[in-house]
Amino acid sequence: MRTFTFIAITLLAGAIAGTILSTINQGIVEPFIEKAIALENQKAMSSGEMINPTQFENYRIWQKGGEIAAGTILGLSLGALFGLVFAYARDSIPASSNKKKALILAVIMLFVLYIVPALKYPANPPAVGDPATISYRQSQYIGFLAISGFSALGLAFLYRKLGKDGKHEAKKILVPAIYGAIMIVAYAAMPPNPDPITAPMDLVIGFRIASGFTMGIFWALLGIILGTFWDKLKPHETTRVRTL
Amino acid sequence: MSLRNDQAAKTTTGVSKKAVAILLVVLAFGVFMVGFDQGEVFGFSVPADGSGSPSGTNWAHEFYHDMRHAAGLPCH
Repeated sequence: MRTFTFIAITLLAGAIAGTILSTINQGIVEPFIEKAIALENQKAMSSGEMINPTQFENYRIWQKGGEIAAGTILGLSLGALFGLVFAYARDSIPASSNKKKALILAVIMLFVLYIVPALKYPANPPAVGDPATISYRQSQYIGFLAISGFSALGLAFLYRKLGKDGKHEAKKILVPAIYGAIMIVAYAAMPPNPDPITAPMDLVIGFRIASGFTMGIFWALLGIILGTFWDKLKPHETTRVRTL
Repeated sequence: MSLRNDQAAKTTTGVSKKAVAILLVVLAFGVFMVGFDQGEVFGFSVPADGSGSPSGTNWAHEFYHDMRHAAGLPCH
């Protein structure tokens, strides 16, 4: 593997996908965040807190700029993980091109790292989470995410160990079934989010759909971009030798 | 680019330890900064939000606030 090319395309794919994510979020997710923050402000003002509208508007512009930067950083970091997993898993994914292989892996990673954790601890807009419980909620989320991620990783090794020779066709049902069983037990065992939802449910559900939609776009883009780079630059090819 | 008929590509699937280390550092730093930092990384510094608040304010959390929500990560 050519190290520099591999690292460069991995990080570049992540940065591009992450920046696109944060840019489309400005139009798709931000309207829900704005509504939720307006509710928070109403609540704060009704309890006697003073909010300067001009100052607050400038603060929100600063936060939206931060979202763009955060998208790039998050894209870089998830891209780094995706590139590593793809480098090790590429040979085991049945598809005719690296672009198709990367897209298949991206869908699996979206499922394991976003959709499954969201079934237990779904995305919430501002106005839902209590600042006093943030550390507890983070530990819950990390715990469930780790169970999902490491279970999938371990089962991927098992899937590979069972071989490609067709003797173990049952693995195609067995391995996903084991993952499903682990996550059902984890779902039942882990405590629920401690914060009650006091915001309107149409706002919360709309936010969750918007978040899921843009995260789906992000993972698909990450797969397509890295797969395209991989097909073009072939970082796994170290040398080309002349044959007789 | 396609190979000429008289050439063959030598391929390796192994990833160098250096690449693994660099990418894991990027992963850990980025996910922690955007997803979970509560002032641990830049908490010592003066806020960059123009508020004039003293150092120790959790401004990095506020800066990444919207993406944290949008990515489904826990936030206040």
